[in-house]
Amino acid sequence: MLLCDFHIHTKYSDGSIELNKVVDLYGQAGFDAVAITDHVVNKDSSIGKLAHRFRYTVREDNFIEYMEAIQYEAARAWSKYGMLVIPGIEISKNYIDSDKSAHILLLDLKGFVSACWDYEKIFLEAKRQDALTVACHPHTMSDMSKDTYHLWNNRDRYAKYIDAWEIANRDDVFNVVSLKKYPYIANSDFHKARHLYSWKTLLNCKKDVGAIKQCIRHNKGVAITLFRN
Amino acid sequence: MVLFLIFATLSIIGLFAYTAQIWAVRSYRSLHTAPHSGENNSCTNFFPPISILKPLKGLDDNLFDNLESFCHQDYPQYEIIFSLQNENDPAFKVARMIKDKYPQKNITIHVERCSSGLNPKVNNLIPAYRISKYPYILISDSNVTVRRHYLKEIIRNMATPGVGLVSNLIRGMGGYSVGAVFENLHLNTFVMGSVSFLDRFLKMPCVVGKSMLMRKTDLEAIGGFMGVKDVLAEDYVIGKRMHESGKRVILSRHMIDNVNEYWGIRKFLNRHTRWGKLRWQIGGAKYCSELLCNPVFMAFLPLIILGPTRLTFAFAAAVSLCKAMGDFIIGRRIGTDLKASSYVLGPLKDVLIGVIWFVPLLSNTVIWRGNRYIIGKDSQLSSCPETGISSWRYRIFDTIRARVA
Repeated sequence: MLLCDFHIHTKYSDGSIELNKVVDLYGQAGFDAVAITDHVVNKDSSIGKLAHRFRYTVREDNFIEYMEAIQYEAARAWSKYGMLVIPGIEISKNYIDSDKSAHILLLDLKGFVSACWDYEKIFLEAKRQDALTVACHPHTMSDMSKDTYHLWNNRDRYAKYIDAWEIANRDDVFNVVSLKKYPYIANSDFHKARHLYSWKTLLNCKKDVGAIKQCIRHNKGVAITLFRN
Repeated sequence: MVLFLIFATLSIIGLFAYTAQIWAVRSYRSLHTAPHSGENNSCTNFFPPISILKPLKGLDDNLFDNLESFCHQDYPQYEIIFSLQNENDPAFKVARMIKDKYPQKNITIHVERCSSGLNPKVNNLIPAYRISKYPYILISDSNVTVRRHYLKEIIRNMATPGVGLVSNLIRGMGGYSVGAVFENLHLNTFVMGSVSFLDRFLKMPCVVGKSMLMRKTDLEAIGGFMGVKDVLAEDYVIGKRMHESGKRVILSRHMIDNVNEYWGIRKFLNRHTRWGKLRWQIGGAKYCSELLCNPVFMAFLPLIILGPTRLTFAFAAAVSLCKAMGDFIIGRRIGTDLKASSYVLGPLKDVLIGVIWFVPLLSNTVIWRGNRYIIGKDSQLSSCPETGISSWRYRIFDTIRARVA
């Protein structure tokens, strides 16, 4: 089984650790596949504007640099640890109202996707790029983070676009998601070193990006584990 | 004023003691780095095969690199035995990756649940020792990284008649979090200084358990691992017994690295509380010297007891500055990678160490790898009672600890 984490932030957005150190942290711990998913935040709300003001977001003007840095680290991680590093982003539509807010992971992304677009446009662009779409932390979280309910509250409308739902995020498990029997994965939502020890995904597939995407989409051979030291 | 003068005198004595430790580190390094370096030591032609026993439990910072550094040894014949208690340990996967990456190396991953004693590290070592093939064994903790000539450097000491055990000085490296910086500062100053001082000036045998090389015959002559299965400081007891059996215990020239990158402050405090309890049980009254050798804590006591006056504040600041400069000198001398700004945290670390110095006087239990033990004389372990009145004491402590956490 491949030990995986598909929701990781670095200093390119609001993570506290540089990209190369994050890759080393996971490589040294024996992970098989990780995805770097820094925030791309919307600009059409006061919260979003703040994120842009303090540069807690990947922007269109530094997206290429961000992707190149991930590609460089991916090559290094593969040669040193045999670990896959998948480029991605977390589309973060943040509003005061939790019911309007949503975060979406786009994994194995090739081009920039703006968080200001409407949901349908984002999903369609992700499909066009053959990126994996994951609805992240779709339900109530136990920490002080702002909840993001929009995708879950509108699941009948969006489920067809979403490849997997985050059934567990860091220390939380979302039982309501499990009851719907949607495809699922579990991630750390890594921002600090201690977040390494949290929920993770186990995949029974070959260690390559295509096989991993297929495994998640088909939701066969997927398990979750609470990774503890 | 009398109280201030007492603490001021103790602080100044502490600074002098620390100066002696700096001197010991300097002389140790100059003695051991000048004539030999790396491959030049191959002139001894003494390269017996070595079994490296690596007890693994959980993920240490930098674990992959730590284990990998043993695959890069410039040494003719050696085997590496990664020993674990169960396959679900996250370290198992890392050991597996190393074995797969270096198929040409003689690496064994041995998983066996052994509960011969109370010391979990020794429980891990007993099966590894049993399957080891070679006459020399090297016990090496999973949290150390070594350079290419490590084995050559340490084995050459075994060619000297009478040597029974070779250990190494430890240098703290890395440090991205405050807890990790504290740990590295403490390893590089207090631990490095004390071990160098005892070894160079007092000729006391010092064994650092992170790296111990010995012959199987010598270990068996002093009772083997079964003889230390119920002690917390198995390294100290092995060294002591080796010394008593007439064999020399020496520190090698080769400094090994302990990479600590993302420690929390709680982990730092837990480790040094445990080590403090261990030294209190082993050293008894000698343990008091540690407080006297903490000039920063001594200098802060008047500030706390007499209140913040210009005199007490200036004295505490001056002693802190002197101590931080001493830390910096040692750090530069041993070539650690700590940033210059990290040394500002040194006095704060010393105050914390001063506070936890008192804990061993109040408690004789430790929690190690999830188990609670009572420590007795010479760090002899015994299980905590699970029933009866005294068990409630530990349950109450555990509840308070959980609430605070």
